[in-house]
Amino acid sequence: MSESSMKRHMGLRASRTLGNTLIYILLITISAIWLIPFFCIVLQSFRVESTWQVGYVMPKVWGLDNYRKLFSSDFTRWYTNTFIISVFTALFQTVIVLCMSYTLSRFRFKMRKPLMRFMLILGFFPGMLTMIILYRVLKDLGLTQANAVPGLILVYIASSGMGYYVSKGFFDTIPKSLDEAARVDGATRFQVLKKIILPLSKPIVIYTVLTAFMGPWGDYVFARYISFGASAGMNVAVGLYNWLTPDQINNNYTMFCAGGVLVAIPVTLLFLFLQKYYVEGVTGGAVKG
Amino acid sequence: MKKFLAIVLAAVMALSMVSFASASSLAGEYEIKVWVADAIVDLTEAQIKRFNETNEDGITFKATIEKMGEGDAASNMVQDVEAGADIYCFAQDQLSRLLTAKALAKLGTKAAEFVTANYDADSAKSVTVDGTMYAYPLTADNGYFMYYDKSVIPDEDVDSLEKLIEDCEKAGKYFSFDLKNVWYSAGFFFGDAGCTSTWVMDADGNAKGVVDNFNSDKGLIALKGMKKLLDSDCWNSSSEVSAFESNSAIVVSGTWGSSTAKQILGDNLGVADLPSYDIDGTAYHIGSFFGFKLMGIKPQEDPVKNAALNKLAQFLTGKECSLERHASNGWGPANLEAQADEAVLNDPILAAVYAQKAYGQVQLAISGAWWNIGNVIADEAKDATDEEGLKQVLVNYENKINESLKLDANALLFVGAWNGWNNADEADTYYFKDGALTLDVPESDYMGGRIVKPADWGTDKGFAQVTTGAELIKDLGADNPDNNIVFAEPGNYTVTWDGTAITIVKN
Repeated sequence: MSESSMKRHMGLRASRTLGNTLIYILLITISAIWLIPFFCIVLQSFRVESTWQVGYVMPKVWGLDNYRKLFSSDFTRWYTNTFIISVFTALFQTVIVLCMSYTLSRFRFKMRKPLMRFMLILGFFPGMLTMIILYRVLKDLGLTQANAVPGLILVYIASSGMGYYVSKGFFDTIPKSLDEAARVDGATRFQVLKKIILPLSKPIVIYTVLTAFMGPWGDYVFARYISFGASAGMNVAVGLYNWLTPDQINNNYTMFCAGGVLVAIPVTLLFLFLQKYYVEGVTGGAVKG
Repeated sequence: MKKFLAIVLAAVMALSMVSFASASSLAGEYEIKVWVADAIVDLTEAQIKRFNETNEDGITFKATIEKMGEGDAASNMVQDVEAGADIYCFAQDQLSRLLTAKALAKLGTKAAEFVTANYDADSAKSVTVDGTMYAYPLTADNGYFMYYDKSVIPDEDVDSLEKLIEDCEKAGKYFSFDLKNVWYSAGFFFGDAGCTSTWVMDADGNAKGVVDNFNSDKGLIALKGMKKLLDSDCWNSSSEVSAFESNSAIVVSGTWGSSTAKQILGDNLGVADLPSYDIDGTAYHIGSFFGFKLMGIKPQEDPVKNAALNKLAQFLTGKECSLERHASNGWGPANLEAQADEAVLNDPILAAVYAQKAYGQVQLAISGAWWNIGNVIADEAKDATDEEGLKQVLVNYENKINESLKLDANALLFVGAWNGWNNADEADTYYFKDGALTLDVPESDYMGGRIVKPADWGTDKGFAQVTTGAELIKDLGADNPDNNIVFAEPGNYTVTWDGTAITIVKN
């Protein structure tokens, strides 16, 4: 190796190291900015020397008092409500969306295109517009305030059929010849969906479940409107918000943080384990419309 | 058999008459929803239980109690009055919103007499709108005063804003005063500065007018005083007593922070009324808003239930229950008997509240628009560099108030050829300010127009009511169903309406 090429080699390595270092510094800074608020909330939730906001981050006395208090408050009710709503919504919405997508992807029927266009246009209307009328309907059904849980499940799954775009796009990428081969072998339409399409569409199924679960999990606006004034029907977002009124916050601030940590746990776990599929799902559906 | 049945029935009826004889016509069981603040849920439950056991009318309430902060009650009631609480607590500033939503039942004559006789006079005034009472006063402590750290602030300095600022700056501590919220910053204008801001509201909760002299020499003095704090590095715009944990030596807040402040500062906690600031050698004591928490009753279909609920409200806001709330949560009662109780009289926090109340303005119903208009005063004043700048802040404030009143559905406006007959509520039309308006009438075919209320084309004000200046307008005679006023010549006119007659003067 000539001297000059040695030098060039060294130079390359040095510049690569330098580049990597810079990138790492940048990434660490960005993730620090991202993570600091979460980190603070977690730390505050373990602070037991006082229950109000303080000017420092590290607790002086550590303990689980906030969590203990949390479990003897209405929080357990709100958490259960949210969990029930989210699980049911995830379940129903996934079934509806997948059936819808499969139908629109594989069946050819009259008015198929107009129907799709119609749903596209319907989707342009902001959901908030329907809030008042939904409230009235649910109230007549007796599904508001303390009985808000089934009401909210209805609200969240009501228009889920219209969210078929991503998964239909994904189904479109699966060769039709697979369906046809199965049909020739005597499979019914449902068997095709169950045995051929779904196993091939794991990412999109998981993506659908995740988004369906996440929507109600963090919803405030609808949940507040439907469950107003009745603690028994509230979800965590609405319930926790009640602890932030001026006369409450000093007694409940650290408990509020503990609540925030518990709310984040299931979502974090879900994403941690299903992240791989989630990315595939988001990008997979984008291949063809 | 039939005879036997008849006898039994008669006996049952007679018996039932006997058993009800001791009870009044209110007797019965009522299911009700109650909204109270989280802090007093358990207490209220016990109190309602006691009411059921002790009341002499045979009333039994099956109450569902929900937590609802007094600050949130209105926004929740407004959503759906029918599904809202039958009896609920709310902060007095929400009265007008609740009236707009028809969420408050009027108090009857007897109930109103009861309120006048048994509650703090100012609190009774605060539940009165347009001569009618709408709620029972629950507390009389909703004001703000000063919490301070005795280890930083010497007791002898608490009367002077300048000294307090100096102490804070020297110690490198903050002076927390939430001046970005006009509820707090208005304190500078009230008090010795002597400004007022009183809204005139109608029974629907709409603003009819305002008596407001912030934009005046007095207001300028107040703003100069406020500027002293705004310009100091020690100013921190917060009203949370937890700011003591973040390097504050003084926090201006209300009774709701007392227990937390005690826990943070312990023996170092000092409580005092607000200080005075010095402008040109004169000391001006900072004033404050003084408000009340109220207990309201939702309009009921059943008048008997309404009466029973009134009994409950009287009980819950009465002496005994008020004292219990004072003992458990430190709430200052509005009930006169409770106010005279030893425990209340010896409460140092309430002593500061009442000392400050002497400089306070009782908070009556306020137009919802005022908050956003007033909240920017502090920021604008901080940016101002000289006296002219401060004056401009007050001018901006007044202009915005006038704009907000223009939208008032009760204003009169003069629409006509001069503004293209534009009668939209927010249109640039000609409004009667203080009953008079000045307008330029340009040359056109029909130099006429009408005086109307926005959204109401009433014909009760116009040509036929003109008493002075009739020679300036065309006589359209009987062929003028709209009662239009049509000017004979173009020009600049002043039109005055005093409620019955119209005067027109050419300028």
